[in-house]
Amino acid sequence: MNILKQRRMFMIAFSAITILSITRTFTDNSDLTSADTISQALGFAVPIGLAGLAGIWSERAGVVNIGLEGMMVLGTFGAGWAGWQWGAWAGVLAGVLFGALGGLLLAVAAITFGVDQIIAGTAVNLLAVGLTKFLAIVLFTNAPGGGQAQSPPIKGSIPNITVEAIANPLITLHDKGIFFISDVAGLVAGLFYQLSLLSVITFGLFAGTSYILWKTRFGLRLRSAGENPWAADSLGVNVVKYKYLAVTFSGLLAGLGGAYLSIASTIYRNGNTAGRGFIGLATMIFGNWRPGGTGAGAIMFGYIDTLRLIDTGNKNVRGLILLGALVLFVIGAYLMRTGKRSTGTAFAILGSVMIGAFLAAKNFPPEVAQVAPYITTLLVLATASQNLRPPAADGVPFRKGEGH
Amino acid sequence: MNDSALAVELKGIWKRFPGVIANSDINLSIAPGTVHAIVGENGAGKSTLMKILYGMQKPDEGTIAINGEFKEFESPSDAIDAGIGMVHQHFMLADNFTVLENIILGSEPRKGAKLDFDTARNQINSIAAENGLAVDADALVADLGVGDRQRIEILKVLYRGARILILDEPTAVLVPHEVDELFNTLRDLKREGITIMFISHKLDEVLAIADEITVIRQGTTVGSVDTKKQNISALELAEMMVGSELPTPETRGNTIREEVVLDVTNLSVHAAGGKAIVDDISFSIRSGEILGIAGVEGNGQAEILDALMGLVENTGVVHFKGEDISNQSTRSRRELGIGFIPEDRHRQALMLEAPLWENRMLGHQTMAPNSKGFLLNISGAKEDTQRIVREYDVRTPSIDVLASALSGGNQQKLIVGREMSGSPRLLIAAHPTRGVDVGAQAAIWDHLRNAREAGLAVLLISADLDELIGLSDTIKVLLRGQFVADANPATVTPQELGTAMTGAGKVSA
Repeated sequence: MNILKQRRMFMIAFSAITILSITRTFTDNSDLTSADTISQALGFAVPIGLAGLAGIWSERAGVVNIGLEGMMVLGTFGAGWAGWQWGAWAGVLAGVLFGALGGLLLAVAAITFGVDQIIAGTAVNLLAVGLTKFLAIVLFTNAPGGGQAQSPPIKGSIPNITVEAIANPLITLHDKGIFFISDVAGLVAGLFYQLSLLSVITFGLFAGTSYILWKTRFGLRLRSAGENPWAADSLGVNVVKYKYLAVTFSGLLAGLGGAYLSIASTIYRNGNTAGRGFIGLATMIFGNWRPGGTGAGAIMFGYIDTLRLIDTGNKNVRGLILLGALVLFVIGAYLMRTGKRSTGTAFAILGSVMIGAFLAAKNFPPEVAQVAPYITTLLVLATASQNLRPPAADGVPFRKGEGH
Repeated sequence: MNDSALAVELKGIWKRFPGVIANSDINLSIAPGTVHAIVGENGAGKSTLMKILYGMQKPDEGTIAINGEFKEFESPSDAIDAGIGMVHQHFMLADNFTVLENIILGSEPRKGAKLDFDTARNQINSIAAENGLAVDADALVADLGVGDRQRIEILKVLYRGARILILDEPTAVLVPHEVDELFNTLRDLKREGITIMFISHKLDEVLAIADEITVIRQGTTVGSVDTKKQNISALELAEMMVGSELPTPETRGNTIREEVVLDVTNLSVHAAGGKAIVDDISFSIRSGEILGIAGVEGNGQAEILDALMGLVENTGVVHFKGEDISNQSTRSRRELGIGFIPEDRHRQALMLEAPLWENRMLGHQTMAPNSKGFLLNISGAKEDTQRIVREYDVRTPSIDVLASALSGGNQQKLIVGREMSGSPRLLIAAHPTRGVDVGAQAAIWDHLRNAREAGLAVLLISADLDELIGLSDTIKVLLRGQFVADANPATVTPQELGTAMTGAGKVSA
């Protein structure tokens, strides 16, 4: 079974690179697979991925965490405030702490008081935005370089890592523009080029989550709280404890994501999260409540975001459209082969429409790229929802001794 | 520990909840290595007692002694430490976990920081082999059937080293051959020296497996019977449970009239894969007739009912009062005068989070007294709900409480009351008295008998064979979606009917 899984992963990666490569060749746009793009995409993926990972922790323990956005906001504020006074690392610490406090608040409301989890999460979101706006006015208005809606600059920064021995030759290879090989070179080079230390930490958190939740006793018990808390309770598992730990740690991760945003833009600014907490939730669902898929989803979102932002001469958006069309064809073909004819046909038709658009128009409004991730998410959910398996007791309040 | 000590001894256990005394002065002695059955009606206090013994609730008064030592349980883990294991009536399993994960949860073997899956698998396999409980440790529970799930539950408690097993209504969800398998397992466990507490209200099963039986009535122990020394019949046991003579579902006299109310020809229902679940059956019911369908659950009964109500796709022709209703919607079928008591009341008959009077309107929202033209008639519905509560003896503080606040039996009485209102011509009823206590059962039977005399046609499905034989004018036996035999309710015995249901024997027509 593991070999099958590995083979499937390999096939998916192989197809993805091939599609990227074809698109690059057709649009003559080497940016699509350059080390610079990939490096930036990873940077954009970090906050989204952390939000998604935060969602996994909370929802695996059975608490729907719609308050991720608010916890991220708290993280951005904590990082801005502490970073301004004591430097970037202090900012990370404060962001993490503030996020964890947001998580703890949700835990108290949802677990101890049994408040509807969607409402409790929404309350955390509203509270976080209001509180940080207020504190920003109080703390930053008269500070040098600060304002009513933003903090003074954060002192220092988090170091970036570039492994020149690996990155440089690969970048040279990428610039040669050989089909497939150069693209692989660019993708790999991106992993060793201007990589933030926080990205490395994030990667470690993903791997660690995989291990802790699926290979340890702690993880099994935490997940049992999300699958059947009554069963866990009947076996002497302290369900409430695990739920509290999970939701608080979830807030901590979201706070780290927020801190990353502030540090990357060197200040705290109102509204800097721009809905990334919600996108994180979408990647979590996309990833079937598992770290691997969630990470992949975050990278996809990050990649599309990057292409939109570094776009020159509207090339990238066109590239994205072709890329999307090819992806649709591949998924469509796969669906047809597995017997889902009608869905497969729908994908192929949608792909053809996009190819038509690609050939007909030279210019696309950049908003097209902005909505692309959401359309992708909708498509994924529409086709994969049959196979998605959320924790069985996700969102269900638990009261000790009550049975179900 | 003392070898000759009783495995379990409860003395003077009291447990009060706000407004209810669940247990009063319970006394119970269980010898080690025996199967001890606890029987009693619904709501007699059996479940509370077991929760106390398993540490899920604390008694207000009384003492618990396990193997001769006094114990106080703060939580199930204390009970588990004392060697007690519980197999819940509703399985406590996580569907998305593997069998192995479900079994080890809460007492996981570790190797360093990691879970030790290999040790766990070996341990489970050896316990399974010793006790004849075959399972695949790596299967996903979601893919397994009820029999397997029950074995997992038993393995779960054995894995924790339990020597005293509490089984809460273990046969409620099993089909007959699974019950036999379970009983074989229990005999094996007994041979290994394990003490088993078996909670049930199915008396024939209790008599088949138990060494000793304790009867609980209205929260207190009213007596114990040693089945080796005393010969006791199911009827005597039932009368101990109820405390009075039992009512019988007997119908008297022939009320069948000429008029055919329901006529079904060539009805078939197919599963998603194309397999016929209901396979080309035809029957008719006359006014004043009760047609009973006997069969092991899962042989197409539910699908026949759903097809007649227009809830599933089906082929065939259904005439109601001479009119072809094959293509009518469920609502118009109801409006024509068909009442429906479904199998699963939570899924098909109630909105648990709505008040009783809203539930009164459910399925009858277009009919008097619930609607006036385009608008709902809420005061009419409330008034009529009061009537149902009165006539059907629904025990509720008010008609504004949520349906979920009622006990299962009272919910059932409300449903029966609702479906019998507006004088339907046909009642399609599945297990009309399932989960209700003996008194209410008799009342529901009375209502059915009276309606039958007034000309109601009834299609009756019931797992209670005494009820089926007692009420029905005609019985048809359903096996794999087809009628395989007819039985005459005047002469057939439950045993004969039971045999016919498995396809093994013939019954007298």
